[in-house]
Amino acid sequence: VAHRRFVLLGIAGVIALVVGLTVTSLGENLTYYLYPTEAVAQRADFPDGERFRLAGTVVGGTMVQTDDEVIFDVTDGGATIGVVLTEPAPSLLAEEVPVLLEGAWSADHFVADDVLIRHDENYEVPDEGGAYPDQ
Amino acid sequence: MLALLGSAGVVAAIIGSVLLVIRGIRSARGGTADLVTPSKLILAGAVIAMAAMQIALLTDDFSLAYLANQHSTTTPFPFDVATAWAALEGSIVLWGLILAVFIWAVAARHRKAPDQLEAAALAVMGGVAVFFFGLMITVANPFEVCVDALATGCAGSSPWPFATVDVPADGPGPNPLLQNHYMMAIHPPILYIGYVGLTVPFAYAIGALALAVPGPEWLRRSHRSTLVAWSFLALGIVLGGWWAYEVLSWGGYWAWDPVENASLMPWLVATAFLHSGLVQQRRGMLQAWNFILVISAFSLTILGTFLTRSGTINSVHSFTQSAIGPALLGFLVLVLVGSFTLFSMRSHLVATSPRLESFVSREGGFLVNNLLLAVFAFIVLIGTTYPLLLEAFSGTRVGVGEPFFNRLAVPLSFLLLLTMGFGPVTPWRGAAPGLLWRRLRAPTLIALSLGIVTVLGVTRLGWVVLAVVLGTFVAGAIVGLLVEQTRIRAEKTGRPLLAEARTVIGNDKSFWAGQLSHLGVALVAVGMAFAANLPLNAQVVLAPGDSVDFAGYGLVYDAPFRRSEPNRVVQGARIDVYQGDRRITTLEPRLNLYGSNPSPIVTPAVMRRAGGDLYLTLRRTDSETIELDLDTSPMVWLIWLGGLTAAAGGFWSLAARKADRAVTQEVVTTDV
Repeated sequence: VAHRRFVLLGIAGVIALVVGLTVTSLGENLTYYLYPTEAVAQRADFPDGERFRLAGTVVGGTMVQTDDEVIFDVTDGGATIGVVLTEPAPSLLAEEVPVLLEGAWSADHFVADDVLIRHDENYEVPDEGGAYPDQ
Repeated sequence: MLALLGSAGVVAAIIGSVLLVIRGIRSARGGTADLVTPSKLILAGAVIAMAAMQIALLTDDFSLAYLANQHSTTTPFPFDVATAWAALEGSIVLWGLILAVFIWAVAARHRKAPDQLEAAALAVMGGVAVFFFGLMITVANPFEVCVDALATGCAGSSPWPFATVDVPADGPGPNPLLQNHYMMAIHPPILYIGYVGLTVPFAYAIGALALAVPGPEWLRRSHRSTLVAWSFLALGIVLGGWWAYEVLSWGGYWAWDPVENASLMPWLVATAFLHSGLVQQRRGMLQAWNFILVISAFSLTILGTFLTRSGTINSVHSFTQSAIGPALLGFLVLVLVGSFTLFSMRSHLVATSPRLESFVSREGGFLVNNLLLAVFAFIVLIGTTYPLLLEAFSGTRVGVGEPFFNRLAVPLSFLLLLTMGFGPVTPWRGAAPGLLWRRLRAPTLIALSLGIVTVLGVTRLGWVVLAVVLGTFVAGAIVGLLVEQTRIRAEKTGRPLLAEARTVIGNDKSFWAGQLSHLGVALVAVGMAFAANLPLNAQVVLAPGDSVDFAGYGLVYDAPFRRSEPNRVVQGARIDVYQGDRRITTLEPRLNLYGSNPSPIVTPAVMRRAGGDLYLTLRRTDSETIELDLDTSPMVWLIWLGGLTAAAGGFWSLAARKADRAVTQEVVTTDV
């Protein structure tokens, strides 16, 4: 009986440890995904430097490439946020393309250091406007 | 015409499935019923459906809405064939075909030696088939005809095969990522064989519970299918990682993406089940646990399909856009509630385990291994589903980062490796004092010395050194055991060692096949540790003629190139790779543009070398310069080799069991 109790206690301990570790690790590794409207509404919850992911579409005609930055606006149809991308822009980044940016607020704009292009599962063309001219 | 043929096949399969359920139940209750005919009907229907799909693809029949939206006249071989499983509706046809083959295989065996357990299992498999073929005439109909054609593609479709068709001239072709590498033609079928195979042990388990015969018989009967499922899942996961590495261009092979996790979870649980099934067969323990595992493994395959095929991963809100999500979720709930209700009704029959005599025993090792694998699967499950649950209940969208998985999975994997070293050398019931040390002394010493060599000569990174030590420990324990048993035999018989080693392996092929899989897993662990901890990377901007030194190679940007292929425009850069003054190869990292899709598919160029791959990714090109990512992943080939070895162990075990059975039959015949 003592043996059985020992085993049960051990199993309960392991389960408690696993659940505890899982919950704490989960809390530390969550990234929030916000659309521009939500990001503006929840500005107070995400102070400067607090990282989150911003999902939206690059507004046409706003993209400006400088030596070490790319500047453009991102919108979800509601709010529009100015983005400064500090990484070199991947070739996939273009106007009117849905993007997922990782970064943080800095005053009134979003500083991103990572871009993930959101592939539409069906690969429907968002814009026939020739974002990729022949070279 | 093909819509009619395909739909007729699906309907035939449904009729066969319903018949199989009815007759299976009758037969399971002690009546006699022919189960082979309905299973042949299912198989014939599924083959016809797949044939109709393939003929349509090969003859560019865009009257089918599925083709109008997934296929293109320019899609080259083998991607036209593979388009059959490039999207949801077609992939369910493949799923149905594989399920039909499994059903037919079980039914064919049933005809030779009919019994109630197998009849009940066939009834359960028939029920699963009703669901999947049912999807094909309801929410995921692959044979809908296009009634509203676009210039390329189809805007409206009808499930009625005789509807007036409006045939588009061409379609957009499959998802570019899926036609960028030939692996896409073989990876999904392999993975699906793994997923669908888990239906068989599940069906036997439910059959055993329904008939109230929870003894080990159901395990014995479904062991082969479990092995088939496990081996193909392992192979599918490795090939998936390889595909990601070759195509997705970030130099990695695993990102804890929900699609990847969907295949890993059932594999982990199936791995636990393969081990705990042995414990029940040898020692009568873990009866209840085996039911739980096999129900979980099957449920996880449905959950995986739900996660990957319902669009829920992008956003919970897309869940309601297609009826396939609710259908799969409903089926999952039905499976879980139904199975566990049945299980609790029969729990009084499930024997309580004989007591574990000693933790230092084979079964003790299996207990630890099962605990670790279950925890592993649980963590992956939480990390994968938490964002969905949170969004469904609170509307907050979150992502669970890779660090969550790595932080928990890495230590668990090392514990698993440790168990893998101890388990096989530990006898059943309990080990005599000193036995383990005698068997593990040499492997431990070798492993520690190799660890020291690694520290002195290669790296001091803790995880890498630990992976080398534990990987060597596992391999050493296996080799040590083989040497010990060979010596004992050779001393008795006086025959040469090599011949005796073959006899030792031949006498217990299943065990040694399992050890081969262990060896594979150890190789994967070492490969992953190296690739994850010792990569080099850099980003460079080059103009033609520029050169850069990277990882011991000289890279010279020769020139850009551009060529038009039927289905894509390939734009790339020719990079000459020099070692010293000698040019060893020319690499062509590319951007592939498919159809009217504005986003190019970034296609890396990889030079494979034993020490480390050189991995070039073209980030962007303009008229003068290119931007190039340079990566090396040392020893990444160990991951592929190890994964293939692990899967090979599973296949060898299958072949060995067949041979064993053939031998038994021979003996029986001579006796007669």
